[in-house]
Amino acid sequence: MINLLTGVNSTASALNAERIRMEVVSQNIANANVSNYQDGQPYQRQVVRFETMLNAQAGQSLTGLAPETTQVARVEKDARPPRLIYDPDNPFSDANGCVAVPNVNIHEEMVDLITASRAFEANLAVVKSARNLALQTLAIGKRS
Amino acid sequence: MDALSLFRMVRPDAALSAYLPAGIQLPPSKTLAPKDLEQLQPAAAPLPSPVARPAETSFADTLSRLVDEVGHKQQAGAAAVNGLLSGQNVPLHQAVIAMEEASVSFQLMVEVRNKLLESYQELMRMQV
Amino acid sequence: MIDALFNQPNYVAAKKLLDATVLRHEAIASNLANLETPNYKRLDVAPAFATSLQQAMNSQDTQRVAGLKPQLAVDAAATAANRDGNTVQLESELMRLNQNSLEHTLETQLISGSLLRLRMAITGRPA
Repeated sequence: MINLLTGVNSTASALNAERIRMEVVSQNIANANVSNYQDGQPYQRQVVRFETMLNAQAGQSLTGLAPETTQVARVEKDARPPRLIYDPDNPFSDANGCVAVPNVNIHEEMVDLITASRAFEANLAVVKSARNLALQTLAIGKRS
Repeated sequence: MDALSLFRMVRPDAALSAYLPAGIQLPPSKTLAPKDLEQLQPAAAPLPSPVARPAETSFADTLSRLVDEVGHKQQAGAAAVNGLLSGQNVPLHQAVIAMEEASVSFQLMVEVRNKLLESYQELMRMQV
Repeated sequence: MIDALFNQPNYVAAKKLLDATVLRHEAIASNLANLETPNYKRLDVAPAFATSLQQAMNSQDTQRVAGLKPQLAVDAAATAANRDGNTVQLESELMRLNQNSLEHTLETQLISGSLLRLRMAITGRPA
């Protein structure tokens, strides 16, 4: 692929990663109250872990250190135990009258959502800037 | 520079005529033998002895060196664009700048050629 | 002969700075891509480049300026704001992005100006 936009690999992978994170957050929020998700177990909150990958392709003659793309390493389940709520009338309550409710904290999810969308917008700004740089470069030496 | 020195510099040369359009020949220098011209020229002070110069390169050598260098610039520009198009990680700005420099060099060579032609034509128009 | 045309100190310096600016944009893109990655350390053009460029320009040697190579390096001065070890700060990174874009505009203008002046000198006509 012709290398017109600088750093576009990093940005593209970040946009992808943040989008996945937002999807996971919205799934958490949607299932925040599901006590019987699978096999009688409540829904377990899912968390996205990011990691970086050295961008081997950006071996331009200019760089010493290669820029790093980000990648969603894994979507894993949050290990915290579900909360127990005393609700004897609930059909899913156990012997003690407690219902296991998912360990999803709405406030945490909202903060995650805002952080993810902030990072997404920042990367969009980078792409827009890269496009401007390319257009300016192509205009070198042009008479108006 | 007086006319005598100018005529002394104009020599028919195979390399130089290669850069002129086909069909145009430079006049042989025999018709402008320097000694004849000296006889025509009224008695004047002798020309000052030329300052010692390094080994003289003829104008034709200079011209062919120009053409070679312009050729190298064009090749460099083409190689940069080639690298860019084939995805070999040539940065865009380097390819663009290489192309522009090649273009400016070529323009220089074309203008030099035009001026040479103009001056040749002016010489030919002169009454003997 | 032709090389003498393109050996003006400011022109050579502008080209070298443009190399560094494009490289810095890649670094900023990488930094913003890894805004949420734990233990990521921000990258930037090595500060040694700025000092060696300054020295080379002072020495009036265009070959020396042309021989410099900007490189990316981990920014040793950046500190982690959170416990996750990530040293990228969104606001300062966006500021650098803006600054870098403007530098790019400046450098392309300088280079364009030099080339157009050369053309005008050659042909006697503007543009």
